Amino acid sequence: MHMPSNQAPAVIETTALTKVYPGDVTALDGLTVSVAPGVTGLVGANGAGKSTLIKILLGLIPPTNGQAKVLGRDCETSGETIRTLLGYMPEHDCLPPDVTATEFVTHLGRISGLPPTVAKERAAESLRHVGLHEERYRLIGTYSTGMKQRVKLAQALVGAPRLLLLDEPTNGLDPAGRTAMLELIGRIGTEFGISIVVASHLLGEIERICDHLVAIDSGRLLRADSITSFTQASQVLAVEVEEGLVQLQAALAARGLPATPQAQGRTLLVPLGGDDTYDVVRDCVAALALPLCRLEQRRHQVEELFRDERDGQEVPHA
Amino acid sequence: MPEPALSASATGVIHDLGYRGYDGPRQGRAQIVRALTWHSFRSAFGIGRGVKGKIIPALAFIAMCLPALVNAFAVARGNQRLFGYDVYVPNLRAAVVIVFIAAQAPELVSRDLRSRVLPLYFCRPLRRSDYPLAKYLAMTGALLILIEVPLLILYVGTIASAKGGSAIWHETRALIPGLGVGLMYAALFAAIGLVLASLTGRRAYSTGIVAIACILTFFVALLLIQAEGGQSATATGARIAGLFSPFTIIDGVRVWLGGSAQTGFVADPGRYGPLYGVLAVALLAACLGGLAARYRKVSQS
Repeated sequence: MHMPSNQAPAVIETTALTKVYPGDVTALDGLTVSVAPGVTGLVGANGAGKSTLIKILLGLIPPTNGQAKVLGRDCETSGETIRTLLGYMPEHDCLPPDVTATEFVTHLGRISGLPPTVAKERAAESLRHVGLHEERYRLIGTYSTGMKQRVKLAQALVGAPRLLLLDEPTNGLDPAGRTAMLELIGRIGTEFGISIVVASHLLGEIERICDHLVAIDSGRLLRADSITSFTQASQVLAVEVEEGLVQLQAALAARGLPATPQAQGRTLLVPLGGDDTYDVVRDCVAALALPLCRLEQRRHQVEELFRDERDGQEVPHA
Repeated sequence: MPEPALSASATGVIHDLGYRGYDGPRQGRAQIVRALTWHSFRSAFGIGRGVKGKIIPALAFIAMCLPALVNAFAVARGNQRLFGYDVYVPNLRAAVVIVFIAAQAPELVSRDLRSRVLPLYFCRPLRRSDYPLAKYLAMTGALLILIEVPLLILYVGTIASAKGGSAIWHETRALIPGLGVGLMYAALFAAIGLVLASLTGRRAYSTGIVAIACILTFFVALLLIQAEGGQSATATGARIAGLFSPFTIIDGVRVWLGGSAQTGFVADPGRYGPLYGVLAVALLAACLGGLAARYRKVSQS
């Protein structure tokens, strides 16, 4: 599996990056973050500054202040070079309806600087990789939303990028389509050897495929870390008993486990330290002779973690 | 027993899906602009589009060529050449140019605005000015085909029946300014058509804007010329009446540069000739500047 390595040169580096739009709208507010190779989720609510960051990385808009580097190159001065190394999938619809997918992706391959025959080959390959086969000779206007999203991904791939920037790639897809798209992105990240930044407001969704997460809120960095460190901190054991919740909590506290009762119901949440946590819980339940209904390992949605951090609180603590 | 997973390090290797990167040569900006120009030029004639997209360009081209073909027959039967090179069927030419740019300029620019495909261009190694530049070159090229090919047919049809080298030389000398006038039309109307069409992504609107702007100014200018005494008038009013539409501006430049008056649209501009020249250049510059500004703005959204 992917090892979070601190030695690998960052694919994206921003320093005190600030973007203020006309009318004093601050989209990015001193964002300093470094993104390692691999699949990175860029998460934040709508309006957190994700799209603005992507546009600055593409060199489409200049930052008001600060610096952004992609693959070691400055976004403001080396925009053209960077754009030959990047593939970008916008959030919104961006496909003309009256051409075939093959023609369209081939054309954009040419605009990426590929020679004519290479553009043709790579367009066919990219469309195959995203799972469009015979349909690729049909007009894009006849496609379903899922197929259109795939064409958008294929056009990002056609130029043989080293880094993909995907802005809300599961937008408008049904649950099955979302899963398929996420699997595809995960595969591109792990098997194609292309680093990926996936912007999304749906944390639960992209945490499945990411090595790293970067969370931003109101244009500021909330947290950037490897996904494992996010999830390690969030392992809890849910203990459900039919009665005696208070006694159990006290017994666990006596053994050094700070358990938290869930808002309603008969469940205690116990931070999962290691395997001995199970033993302690089992012993306490047995000693009190409580009717145990459920004992399960639960993972906090990363979303909750962010919420906790934002509120400046610790993870479950009474 | 599963096969050992094919290695997938961050630097990438061949794997079961057969994804291959590309480390070969990449084309520079000039070649990318050329590719976009060629693509746009083809779409100006509906190539790469459905049958519907080819109807108007084809009809426009045929309409422009017909008089030249008729001329070939007429000359073969011993008649004089029917049309001048510099004022080749002026009213028909104006009408066809209007129809062509009203229909095809939106095809080149409004379509991309409508389908919001521009971010896909601007996230590639193009500069912001490259896109309008390519579109302008493509539209100018398309108009050149539309305007100059009939002149060449006119020329070939005439010299095919010409007697002696001096007759051919005479025709050639007449053709060259005609091609120059055609170039002026192409260069100016490509810019006008594109800048107006790029105002909106709604194709019907942009077609309307282009058509109305061209037709309205043209008729205003023609009416003013009539009101001031027609093409043979020499009063100041008649001399400057042609300044009010692009067609008559080009015609004024033509007469100023030595073309015969009273064959095109305008009265002899006389000492106001340079004014026509300056205005033609200013109009072209304004349209190209507007086009560039339009895409500087749109690329940020």
